[in-house]
Amino acid sequence: MGLLYLAALLVSLTGMVVLDRRFQLYFWADARRAAVVSAVGVVFFVVWDLFGIGLGIFFRGETAFMTGLQVAPELPLEELFFLALLVYVTMNLYGAFGRLLAPAVSKRGVGA
Amino acid sequence: MTYWALNAFFLAAVALVALAAVVKARSARTAADPRRSDTGPRWSAVGLAAIALLITTAVFDNVMIGIGLVAYNPDLISGAFVGIAPLEDFAYAIAAVVLLPSLWHLLPARGSRPSTGTRPSTGSGTAGAPGPSTDSGTAGGPRA
Repeated sequence: MGLLYLAALLVSLTGMVVLDRRFQLYFWADARRAAVVSAVGVVFFVVWDLFGIGLGIFFRGETAFMTGLQVAPELPLEELFFLALLVYVTMNLYGAFGRLLAPAVSKRGVGA
Repeated sequence: MTYWALNAFFLAAVALVALAAVVKARSARTAADPRRSDTGPRWSAVGLAAIALLITTAVFDNVMIGIGLVAYNPDLISGAFVGIAPLEDFAYAIAAVVLLPSLWHLLPARGSRPSTGTRPSTGSGTAGAPGPSTDSGTAGGPRA
């Protein structure tokens, strides 16, 4: 039970990697840029989370679906994977729509 | 501080990064560098990704709150909800879909397109040359 949410996130992230690889959307379009964007993006959203938690706006729920491991007070381990998924979904979508909208300009890369 | 006030700071930061990406793309156009391979964020793609992301957020945020992964201080949220998801949560999706593509286009592009299909680019070939793609037939085409 405690691993359910983490497992769901990892399965979803794996799906993003598969799509990325198959269609060269993000890391497979430009690995270095994708690494920087992902790192900056996750840090940005973690900081946002920490402010929200610090200000008492939101907090970890009472649930049996999480491991209970916390990387900071009220910040579950799972949140890091959720934010990574948010970043990956966003950039795969952007890469895919960028390609679909301008097929004659670039067949490869995130709007590159 | 309310959730909306917090979001305002972070959305403002996102707006600044987006502005930087637009300015960079504009100056690249002005300079008319023939090697440039990037015209800045494609806002039509951003818009479509935003629609998909907002729908996804509406679905999964409701699930996450419903099963108790996260909870909110009722005094600090506006009280506007999509289902049981506070409207403020959608700021994350908006921020992601503007910030991340903007960052992508602010970073220098990999020198060239990869020459093989399934591996990350290794940067072989001429730097930034936007000419016809050699690995995708005529579909790549010369950049206009």
